[in-house]
Amino acid sequence: MSIEKRMLARELKLAAARPGDIFKPMWFLMLVISMVPLALSPDSALLADIGSAMIWVATLLALLLNTEHLFQSDFSDGVLEQWLFLDRPLAWLVGLKLIVHWLFHVVPLICITPIAGLMLSVPTDVLIALLMTLVVATPALTCFSGLGAALTLGSSRSGILGVLVMMPLFVPVVILAAGVLIRATDGSEILPLIALLGAFSLVAATLVPIAVSAAIRLNIGGSN
Amino acid sequence: MSWRWFHQWGSPRWFYERAGRWQLVCGWLALILLVVGSLWGLGFAPVDYQQGNSYRIIYLHVPVAFLAQAMYAAMAVCAVVLFVWKMKLADVAMQAIAVTGLAFTVLSLVSGAVWGKPTWGTYWVWDARLTSMLILSFLYLGLIGLRAAIQDPDQAGKACGILVLVGVVNLPIIKYSVEWWNTLHQPASLKLTEKPTMPASMWVPLLVNILGYYIAAAYLVLGSMRAIVIGRERRASWVKELVGRA
Repeated sequence: MSIEKRMLARELKLAAARPGDIFKPMWFLMLVISMVPLALSPDSALLADIGSAMIWVATLLALLLNTEHLFQSDFSDGVLEQWLFLDRPLAWLVGLKLIVHWLFHVVPLICITPIAGLMLSVPTDVLIALLMTLVVATPALTCFSGLGAALTLGSSRSGILGVLVMMPLFVPVVILAAGVLIRATDGSEILPLIALLGAFSLVAATLVPIAVSAAIRLNIGGSN
Repeated sequence: MSWRWFHQWGSPRWFYERAGRWQLVCGWLALILLVVGSLWGLGFAPVDYQQGNSYRIIYLHVPVAFLAQAMYAAMAVCAVVLFVWKMKLADVAMQAIAVTGLAFTVLSLVSGAVWGKPTWGTYWVWDARLTSMLILSFLYLGLIGLRAAIQDPDQAGKACGILVLVGVVNLPIIKYSVEWWNTLHQPASLKLTEKPTMPASMWVPLLVNILGYYIAAAYLVLGSMRAIVIGRERRASWVKELVGRA
């Protein structure tokens, strides 16, 4: 069995052993969404206006919540150290880890956003646009928050520092996604912006793993 | 060819002594330029026909805003030097610039707000340049926080270097996306490629102040670099000697 297949099998087993890790961010997302009408007003016209943006922000927060400790357990049980000895570039393994994380932990989040959309009475065409933006934009967000997680690996008292450090870099993604949502509400063309978001994700997915691997190397080198 | 000019940068002691002299020169030069530029700008430059006297805050705001952005670029250069030549002094510079840069970013936000109140009628608007400056201040804060969280200075320096490089690639993207998102700020009043929209009697003192603030920034960065060098080398014999003499 190749290294990649074994890695995938291990991640599958880990995900199956800790279903809470997948479930908790979804739970968090639904809680944040239920706070919106409570804090604002149950008026469905108002909710429909801001609903899609609220869902976007809530999904972003939920994603940050479950990516914060992405490399922590692999770091403390020495798996990351073993990665250095494999005959594969570290950036490649990191990229795989990020893809698997996106599949197991971010896609479930995206899957429940339609329910949140219904609860905030978001119109169907906007909801479809929202789903498209989330699918193409979350890979970039996963990569960046993964970098935050890797940079703060070595320090035990970092808390949510990784999130704080990386969040300013989310700005272009959030702005483009907001542009898509505004256009979807107007009924104008959204595909060019979706393509731009996709391009951003692709560039992030190729370049960020290199930075993440540098950050991991640094933390492993520093600990001995 | 002798490589002495290059290798001497690896010596903290050499840097500490030289930087003290450079700091003195920078300090006096900045003081003269800032006094001349500020007096000229605040006292003698003509009143703006639209904004009245409130426009005079540009003699602080514009140089500080320039510096806030330039210092991030300077940090990126330091990060490249750190990774390519493993020069520890580049990391010291990065640490010093992050704090000074944050100070300038906050100063430009505050001076902008003070100018915005009489001109726009509000301290804050979600305009493109204000927003990207705010994001820049979060980037600076992130760097300072990351360095504070990691104990080993070498490791902290490299982590900050990675973050700076990722940030500097993203900064133009952030800037243009924010601009695309919203623009109601007046167009930039001083551009390098075009003739300024102000008369010479207004922009000459501004230029003097910009130069003054750049040199003042060099003075501040050199000062905190010296302090950081002393702190990191506190176990070295030359530092003990220095402290013993004082």
